[in-house]
Amino acid sequence: MDLEIQQRVLDLTGKYGAENVVVILGGAEAEAAGLSAETVTAGDPTYAGPLAGIDLGLRVYHAVEPEIKNEADQAVYDEQCGMMEMVLDVDAIISEVKTIRDQYCKFK
Amino acid sequence: MIRIVHYINQFFGQIGGEDKADIKPQVKEGVVGPGMAFKQAFKGEAEIVATIICGDSYFNENMAEAQETILEMVKGYNPDLFIAGPAFNAGRYGVACGAISKAVQDKLNIPAVCGMYVENPGADMFKKDLYIVSTKDNAAGMRDAVPKMASLALKLVKGEEIGLPKDENYIERGIRRNCFSDVRGSKRAVNMLVNKINGKGVETEYAMPTFDKVDPNPPILDMTKATIALVTSGGIVPKGNPDRIESSSASKFGKYDIDGEMELTSSKYETAHGGYDPVYANKDPNRVLPVDILRDLEREGVIGKLYRYFYATVGNGTSVANAKAYGAKIAAELRNDGVDAVILTST
Repeated sequence: MDLEIQQRVLDLTGKYGAENVVVILGGAEAEAAGLSAETVTAGDPTYAGPLAGIDLGLRVYHAVEPEIKNEADQAVYDEQCGMMEMVLDVDAIISEVKTIRDQYCKFK
Repeated sequence: MIRIVHYINQFFGQIGGEDKADIKPQVKEGVVGPGMAFKQAFKGEAEIVATIICGDSYFNENMAEAQETILEMVKGYNPDLFIAGPAFNAGRYGVACGAISKAVQDKLNIPAVCGMYVENPGADMFKKDLYIVSTKDNAAGMRDAVPKMASLALKLVKGEEIGLPKDENYIERGIRRNCFSDVRGSKRAVNMLVNKINGKGVETEYAMPTFDKVDPNPPILDMTKATIALVTSGGIVPKGNPDRIESSSASKFGKYDIDGEMELTSSKYETAHGGYDPVYANKDPNRVLPVDILRDLEREGVIGKLYRYFYATVGNGTSVANAKAYGAKIAAELRNDGVDAVILTST
């Protein structure tokens, strides 16, 4: 997760409170999505950005996870995400992000 | 408490990316960035008393000056140990980590540990002088690299015996040490042979350095009939870079038709390479890919003909493994097309 985005997550969390923030990811593969999820929960694993050493513990989901998909209008979701859902390794992404969330999210 | 000074670049120092790569060395008390991970890994046995941050470009372009400044900074904190990186596969960062660690070790007599990906140019340059922990090729490997670097560093500073590279996770330094064995040589050799025959793994007792030796091809007997192709890692592409070859760490190569082109003009060609000053290559792309000269030789009958296509990629930061794969693909296509020889130009 690049440094500007980390800063924005940090600022928004400061403004609204960690319990009121949900991060939705759109990364195209499992490892990258997992790293982003880790960044907003346990802290930046590369220790390069503003979230290094800061464990916000935010709720974090990938856009292809059922928790997010079921919240959306099915027709709109199909139109916006249907194509990507077909080409991505959805199972791997879900398992990676869920593992991180279960381990580090402070709001369950 | 063991005192440590930690060296990192502008990126891990949270100052900025490539736009801040020219910052001069600066020192901050305590931990910055990856230092936080080291702090955890040391579990109170050692303390990072200061972090030195220097831009990668600045270090590499002003090596003598940067080293001198940094050595003075290190001296000021009187550390027992120096840690640099990890630099993963960042080339200039790796070279900086290696160079400054070697200087600290040689001039201040303070043990040093770095971390790098095995293909980082810094690893090859400094592995004989330093303990360089082998890391993944990107910063996602931080969690894995830090405990390994920390444990090796603690052993080093305590004067404990350092074991084999594979046990201590550092890159082979090419050091051989004699030792006594209970089993005599002939018996060990036969055991190895039996293992080999049985399809079990055989581990040599006498590792040899690996040289990437390429046997020269047999000479071309008649150049006047030979088809010659041009291939470059200097990034020459048709203007606008239609295949979007990356300016660094290229993920592909391109193949371009030069049928009827007597030379490469600046209106039609340019370089996509991000690792050198492109002004002169853009002004006259023949400087990197000499189509003009090859056309002369073709006209004069020195060579049979110039192959109709040229291949180009960007060598800047491109991994050795990727470069090998591109080379193999390009060579296969050229052979299929009856090309006799290739002139390979870089930057």
